[in-house]
Amino acid sequence: MEVISSIFQFILDMGSSVFVPLILLIMGLIVRMKFKDAFTSALTLGVAFVGMNTVVNFMMSSIGPAAEQFVNNTGIQLNIMDGGWTSMSTLAWAWPLAFLMFPFQIGVNLLLLLTKQTDTLNVDLWNVWGKIFTAVLVIGVTGNTTLAFAVAIIQMFIELKIADVNQKQIEELTGIPGVTTTHSMNIIAVILYPFNRLMDFIPGLNKKIDANWLKDKIGVFAENHVMGFIIALLLGLVARYSVQESLILGVQGATALTLFPMVAKLFMQALAPISDATSEFMKKYSKGRSFYIGTDWPILAGCSEVWVTTIILVPITIILAILLPGNNILPFAGIINLSIAVPALLVTGGNLLRMLILGTLATPIFLYAATEFAPTITQLALDTKALDLASGQMLSWSTLEYPVFRYVFAHAANVINGEFIGLIAAVAWLGLFAWYMKGMRKRNEALEAKKEAA
Amino acid sequence: MKKIIVACGSGVATSQTVASKIDKLLKERNIRATVEAVDIKSLDTHIKTSAVYVAITKPQKEYPIPVVNGIAFLTGIGMEEELNKIIKAVQ
Repeated sequence: MEVISSIFQFILDMGSSVFVPLILLIMGLIVRMKFKDAFTSALTLGVAFVGMNTVVNFMMSSIGPAAEQFVNNTGIQLNIMDGGWTSMSTLAWAWPLAFLMFPFQIGVNLLLLLTKQTDTLNVDLWNVWGKIFTAVLVIGVTGNTTLAFAVAIIQMFIELKIADVNQKQIEELTGIPGVTTTHSMNIIAVILYPFNRLMDFIPGLNKKIDANWLKDKIGVFAENHVMGFIIALLLGLVARYSVQESLILGVQGATALTLFPMVAKLFMQALAPISDATSEFMKKYSKGRSFYIGTDWPILAGCSEVWVTTIILVPITIILAILLPGNNILPFAGIINLSIAVPALLVTGGNLLRMLILGTLATPIFLYAATEFAPTITQLALDTKALDLASGQMLSWSTLEYPVFRYVFAHAANVINGEFIGLIAAVAWLGLFAWYMKGMRKRNEALEAKKEAA
Repeated sequence: MKKIIVACGSGVATSQTVASKIDKLLKERNIRATVEAVDIKSLDTHIKTSAVYVAITKPQKEYPIPVVNGIAFLTGIGMEEELNKIIKAVQ
């Protein structure tokens, strides 16, 4: 017994760059991959972890000191580093129990499909990381692994229901039939829906603005390297760096934001064979049933409204980050707020003006959630050793997806530690969810009628 | 070797899934080509050096190279057709 436990500990201590690839190798062999292929995938995963770590450290060592100077010069506390979603996914995949989420996702989906509780088959296995991340946040708040999985399973159920109810709207926006998105970022639509309904009563908010024209004018700002350059340059200037130092910092910022997605791609490359095998498995076992294919959110990336919203929200996010008392995160890698733009696109049906209003109203929620979850996220980085943080350095994600759901349910689960407010909030959230579902169904009837009349 | 590009929102997950799938299918048929996942914001830069564009979103404008439907690789529906279009473009 001692021997087994110490061997296990030995492997675990090597951290995410060895332990997780080892799990992937075993999983690959279980789904009958050739050893050569499983080994390549596993090694690529290790490379992804170390690569990600390198870029995060680079960002922290370049942006970090400037952020500190800024704090010293102005007294404004923005000392939490924003690693963006790519850093968060690194942490999620490094959690020892991460891969258990795959069988749960498959099981819950097939069960709900067979019992006709959903019409969506989720083939987006990459975004399993979102559920892993939720589970990890729940453990951070409650210390309980079982409840973490319970919340993750609740999330899977809600994602599939929301995917069902978004399908018509997505078809209207993209022209693609039979497809929906199961990306959990759309869970925040539950909170946005009441505001959208309110706007139905305000005259002037039903106009459609031409997003394509706008995007052509300001589109270049959305490019990663341009965005990174501008933000880092501005940071250097407000930190009272010299013009030379600010320009250097600008290029470093551009580098960090360009490299993040490049390294994150390695995760996908490594997981692609497992993801493929799993999709095939799901499709095989749901034959005979007509369903919508649930994919990742980028099927909506062709809608210019999304990009225009994220670009305009950048300066708004920065200003709010500085002005809001109690916010400690410096938005950087996560500053392109797709976590609000895409849900807003679906909730408003593509109304750019409303998307901008909802985006601005929601930004404080994201900033506070990021600040609130920073200790948990930082601890996860230290525990998994997936990311090497300098001592005292805090990490978070400025546009953490569906922050309300995660916060409410993590605290609801905390009832085991005597907290009751969370549970009450969760019940209220479920009420809003029911109202959202009803409202979307009515909208779908109207969309269907419009389609038939055309 | 001719280049195939796949574009999605961030150039990371969805486009990489499709890229890996196309890569695997081409290898099975012994066809050589590079498949690259890019983010939709930098599409125009990559179009210039590519032989075919696999789109996950509906193209907003005309491109000088053939455009293929990438969703087919996610859903499996119509995949063979789109794959044949890609093969034609890179041979």
